[in-house]
Amino acid sequence: MRKHNANRGLRVFGLVTAIAFAFPGLYLVWRNFTSGADPLGLLFSNQTLQPLWRTIYLAGLVSVSAACLGTALAWLTARTDLPFRKLWSVLLPVPLVFPTFIGAAAFIRALSPGGLASEWLTAFGVHHTPQLRGLFGAWLVLTFFCYPYVYLPVNARLKQLPGSYEQTALLLGDTQPQVFLRVVLRQIGSSITAGTLLVFLYTISDFGAVQLMRFDTLTRAIEMNYLARPPISFAMSLILLALAAVVVVSERAASRHLPDIRTHRPQHALKYELGSWKVPSLLLVIATFAISIVAPVAAMADWALGGTLRSDGRPLTVSVSKIVEATINTLTSSIATGVVALLLITPIAFLANRHKDRIGRFTHSVVISTFAIPGILIALSLRFWTIRSGFIGSFFYDSMALLIFAYVVRFAALAMGAASVAVNAVPTALHDAAATLGADRRRRFRTVDVPVMKPGLLAATGLVVLSTMKELPISLLLAPIGFPTLTTRIFSSFEEAFVAEAGIMALVLVTASAFLSWSLVLRRSDAL
Amino acid sequence: MKSSAARGVIVEDLEHSYGDEPVLHGVSLDVSPGESIALLGPSGCGKTTLLRLIAGLERPSSGSITIGEDLVAGETWVPPDRRRVGMVFQDWALFPHLSVAKNVAYGISKSTSKDTEVSAALEMMNLAGLEDRMPATLSGGQQQRVALARALAPRPGVLLLDEPFSNLDTSLRIEVRTEVRELLADLGITSIFVTHDQDEAFIVGDRVAVMREGHIVQTATPYDLYHNPVDRWTAEFVGTVSSLSATAQSGTAQSPIGSLAVSPKLQGPVDLILRPEQLALEAGGDAEVLLVEYYGHDTLVFVESGDDQLRVRCGPTTNYSRGDRVTVRFVDTVALAFAKE
Repeated sequence: MRKHNANRGLRVFGLVTAIAFAFPGLYLVWRNFTSGADPLGLLFSNQTLQPLWRTIYLAGLVSVSAACLGTALAWLTARTDLPFRKLWSVLLPVPLVFPTFIGAAAFIRALSPGGLASEWLTAFGVHHTPQLRGLFGAWLVLTFFCYPYVYLPVNARLKQLPGSYEQTALLLGDTQPQVFLRVVLRQIGSSITAGTLLVFLYTISDFGAVQLMRFDTLTRAIEMNYLARPPISFAMSLILLALAAVVVVSERAASRHLPDIRTHRPQHALKYELGSWKVPSLLLVIATFAISIVAPVAAMADWALGGTLRSDGRPLTVSVSKIVEATINTLTSSIATGVVALLLITPIAFLANRHKDRIGRFTHSVVISTFAIPGILIALSLRFWTIRSGFIGSFFYDSMALLIFAYVVRFAALAMGAASVAVNAVPTALHDAAATLGADRRRRFRTVDVPVMKPGLLAATGLVVLSTMKELPISLLLAPIGFPTLTTRIFSSFEEAFVAEAGIMALVLVTASAFLSWSLVLRRSDAL
Repeated sequence: MKSSAARGVIVEDLEHSYGDEPVLHGVSLDVSPGESIALLGPSGCGKTTLLRLIAGLERPSSGSITIGEDLVAGETWVPPDRRRVGMVFQDWALFPHLSVAKNVAYGISKSTSKDTEVSAALEMMNLAGLEDRMPATLSGGQQQRVALARALAPRPGVLLLDEPFSNLDTSLRIEVRTEVRELLADLGITSIFVTHDQDEAFIVGDRVAVMREGHIVQTATPYDLYHNPVDRWTAEFVGTVSSLSATAQSGTAQSPIGSLAVSPKLQGPVDLILRPEQLALEAGGDAEVLLVEYYGHDTLVFVESGDDQLRVRCGPTTNYSRGDRVTVRFVDTVALAFAKE
């Protein structure tokens, strides 16, 4: 109804922020056409098309399996009499706290021939476990660590869905399978699509899992070529960027068609009896739990114990000071990223939502769209920019500022949504009430806006901190020399087989990220 | 608790629009100190906008507003936080993060007597004991009283209320509006409130300003408004009416239910506007009973007479049923009539 004019300083700030966020993506495109090589020729050469094909193939497979698994689990925990439903619905989102490269390493340790599972199975006289490398390994890891992207929205949707729709269909003569197909699936379809596209986007941008599984997708090929053959790396980057853009645009379209469910309050959703399906259903849930939670935790614990307790006379390979250093680095850089993101994003959320300002909305969409850019592309772009752009570049080269900036560009979009919700959560009527009670603009901001927005903004910051802690490719390419983080240390330990340290650091990282997820995201999920 | 001196409100020739859409046209209103005025009108008539303009939450396109001695909009502009106007919002707008006591204390300036003033305001609204509760834990009626206590605590010269009862359920609403009426009368505070409910406007307002499509059509006491509405639309909006076509000549109108006394100014074809209590029924005749609505304290009978449908208020002992043959009589002295447009 009312439109406050935003002051000029805020609008200039918005414009500068938009330029900063758009920079890495634009630089990548620009480099492609100014590097002197033949960009179009490279785009359609076998060198780039092969990894593209593998990327799409893997992302397609992972999407289908994660969609099926996520939807099935959501249905079982939300709408059936599955035993221990409450417990499962708390446990099933947990795989999101594992970075996929830790998951991949853990799978290799736990499930490969000679791994933990085969040691146990050998005790029962079974000797075969599948080879876990390449496409199969990457698919397995990504499916079992990405299904929560589908599980969470579908589960929420199913819980919202009023039982009256299904009861109406039953009264009109549908059988239960017909009800599922004609009523339930229609209502949750767009949630499944949106979640699946997130899985697709995650898979094409994933670097850690495919690297450890030695499956040459675009991200792995970009990383392998960026020093030796930059033009090829840039051409592949452009393809990956375009692919990500297509996925994000489809995701937007899918979520826009989310039908509105008008309910007065969450009702008792209809529960279905599983009957003879109870045992197979329970087995599916237990298997998922074992593969995606027990296996990685067991593998990490095994590494950690292997290095500390079972030293059998050999010198301990664990350096406590290295672990502490990496932990502190991870905490400082991710908290700094969270704070910087919050300081950048909150004014933009204000500008776009409260002031309905055109520049604010533009910046808002620029920030949101950077979500599509895989971390490795941001890292690559900024790395080359610092090398190529003379004095300014050398100033930022190998600096903390550049690392934090890259993290912020990568993850601020996550905070944008939560911050917008927080800004919109302050009703104008509260402002009006404060004004008629004699509060001027500054006092209204301090006594109304800040306290009402606080939980939402904290959640936004928490999301950024959480994601930054687990980030791998940006940390690998941009962390200053002498600034190891948990992810870079763990990753290089896996590559060099110093697994005891890696195990302990992985446990530290997963514990910290689980704690943060619980306290800031899941517990406050009503603020999101 | 004393209120500060009540202040009058003078609105002159106010115009306002949202973007290109005009919402108020030349609105003028004169509210005396201590008076209670109801702004009554259908939704979208601009009544809430007028209230927000008086509060300073919107800035008028043109025209002026004076509160007490101070010009607050027109040649100068006084922002809402310096107008000393209390306001109760439709959804009460209680600060969700503050306790009841802190909500009420929000508008009171820092002073040694702050705590006593808060307790006095809570006492007055029967809220003692709820000081530390959070708004979300209160019932609708309690939230409404906190909103009133908060608006009154800084002792404003004028109190504005935007549909203050619309979020309460029916029985509570009837109880609360009587309480509020008493309170406003006791405090002697100037009050302006917005409603779309005619009963509410008549009960709480000393005078009622009827608004339609951005204009104030009539400002009058409830009695005058009911008996001498300025036009047919106002007559129909305020209370129940039946209308009949008739021909007027020298103070008499010939109608299907006989000849009735009307204003001698009218000549030619007119619409008679008849209130249900101006009519009565007799058994037998050409008219037929269509529907009977029995309310206990009285009965409303719908009658078809020729091509016209009439509503007749009868006593609680009336016992007509559908299909009965009746005759309709005019039992008042003069009937309201407006020349046909």
